[in-house]
Amino acid sequence: MKSTSHNLVMSAIYGGRKAQRPPAGNPTSIVCHGLMDACGVTFPEAHLNPEAMAELALAGHEIIGFDTVMPEYSVHQESAALGCEVDWGDRNTMPDSKTSPYADFSDIEVPENILEKPSMRVVLDALSILRRHVGDKVAILGKVMGPWTLSYHMAGTQNFLLHVGLGEEDKIIKMMRQLMPVTIEFAKAQFRAGADVVCLADHVTGDLASPKHYEKLLLPLHKEITQEIGGPLILHVCGNCNDRLELFASAGFDAYHFEWQMGPKNVVDRIGNKISLVGCINNPRTLYQGTPEDAFTQAREAIEAGVHIIGPECAIPLATPLENLKAIVEAVRQGY
Amino acid sequence: MTQADFEQVKEIIIAGRHKEIESVVTDLIAGGVDLHELINYGMIAAMDVVGQRFARHEIFVPEMLVSALTMQKGLGLIKPLLKGDQTQTKATVVLCTVKGDIHDIGKNLVGMMLEGGGFRVIDLGVNLSVEQLISQLKEIRPQVLGLSALLTTTMPEMGKVIEALDAEGLRKSIKVMVGGAPVDKRFADSIGADGYGADAAEAVRLARQFVE
Repeated sequence: MKSTSHNLVMSAIYGGRKAQRPPAGNPTSIVCHGLMDACGVTFPEAHLNPEAMAELALAGHEIIGFDTVMPEYSVHQESAALGCEVDWGDRNTMPDSKTSPYADFSDIEVPENILEKPSMRVVLDALSILRRHVGDKVAILGKVMGPWTLSYHMAGTQNFLLHVGLGEEDKIIKMMRQLMPVTIEFAKAQFRAGADVVCLADHVTGDLASPKHYEKLLLPLHKEITQEIGGPLILHVCGNCNDRLELFASAGFDAYHFEWQMGPKNVVDRIGNKISLVGCINNPRTLYQGTPEDAFTQAREAIEAGVHIIGPECAIPLATPLENLKAIVEAVRQGY
Repeated sequence: MTQADFEQVKEIIIAGRHKEIESVVTDLIAGGVDLHELINYGMIAAMDVVGQRFARHEIFVPEMLVSALTMQKGLGLIKPLLKGDQTQTKATVVLCTVKGDIHDIGKNLVGMMLEGGGFRVIDLGVNLSVEQLISQLKEIRPQVLGLSALLTTTMPEMGKVIEALDAEGLRKSIKVMVGGAPVDKRFADSIGADGYGADAAEAVRLARQFVE
């Protein structure tokens, strides 16, 4: 009996069980100019229109051959709904938030109908379109921002981190607790709309904050979030997180999406028996500046190290050659 | 004025005790401290240690930001007392984040560290086009240009800036250093930059090398 893409991904997510081959998956964006050109959908349309969003996500499966479809390409869907002024960019530029409406750490006003705000509704509608289209053949991934990342957007990243450094823990925790329901409700809504798995991105990355900050300020919230949401979740934290891997593995997530710089074997050896692992092909050097051979070699190395789902380490540069992404698919199709 | 006074300032900055710095510096100024010695042996020395600790992952951005804030508070009291030609700045450094990129924490930290390191820093901000930057550089004529990019999508802009410096005849007079999460030495070499800094402390070391 041949496994579907959906089966391969779900087997890998649930306890990292091996199926016929490792799946290729992308909790973050694999959109590049080549993919936009191939399917005729471009940015910013694919951030704003559910049909375009779903079409571009589907192209990741139909044109590149990934075993997942993931229709959210920006990190600003929630912040736009929460009052940030978002520039949705263009074909060459990813969206960016222009304002930080809660730089003074005043109480966050979460709109009652936040799931109906255009930037949230578009993702939910795109997930439903994908569910109707791919049924249970391909794994559908959703994506939400965690309270740490949402706080960056609300207060401004540098301002938020300065307050962390100043030891203003009451302000930090109050802001994150007021934002946490947005993360939980959006994730639950994405499951209802059709997602099989949701990626929760929360950028408490190496350099930007210490493992002690994570353990004290955010880990308790992550434990509450993972218990509350219930469905399978992939934690995405980019950067070097070698000093907090075990903490991530204790937070209740089903999988962790990580970067190449930490070394796939190192990550697998340390936490691979506690949490499924997703990644970790290097973006700037291998996928963006490298060749298909480079991408293939690195993907095989990740498979041999025991990484459960193979894909880019983070949202890829828009100028990434399409052939480099196809090389990842070629590598997983060679099996274990 | 004793070495202990400078050590006290240094320790306050390293520990980020920002509420204490102004009264200590005010007392030292009232006692007739040599302002340049205070900057060199108190502030620059402190930020050197902060940079080293950051590079060794002993501290992280939040602690570094608080140390920089503490230093800036102290420096704010000293600067008005320094007269034009006595500021003894090492050189002028222009910083910016390249076009298409609005991330600025790394750049800001580099700016704070350079300032702490005795450089005159002109921060041109984020999302700066090649044309805007060249126009500013012609006016400012800095010795060093620091370019930052957090996104792999915006890295190529750094190469465009260097090409434009060549075309405008500015390249020989301006040393270019680059940095940012996706940038590495290989990329810096490939676009013809003079140096790559993995963190703010390395940026200060590079700038010192360039002007010494």
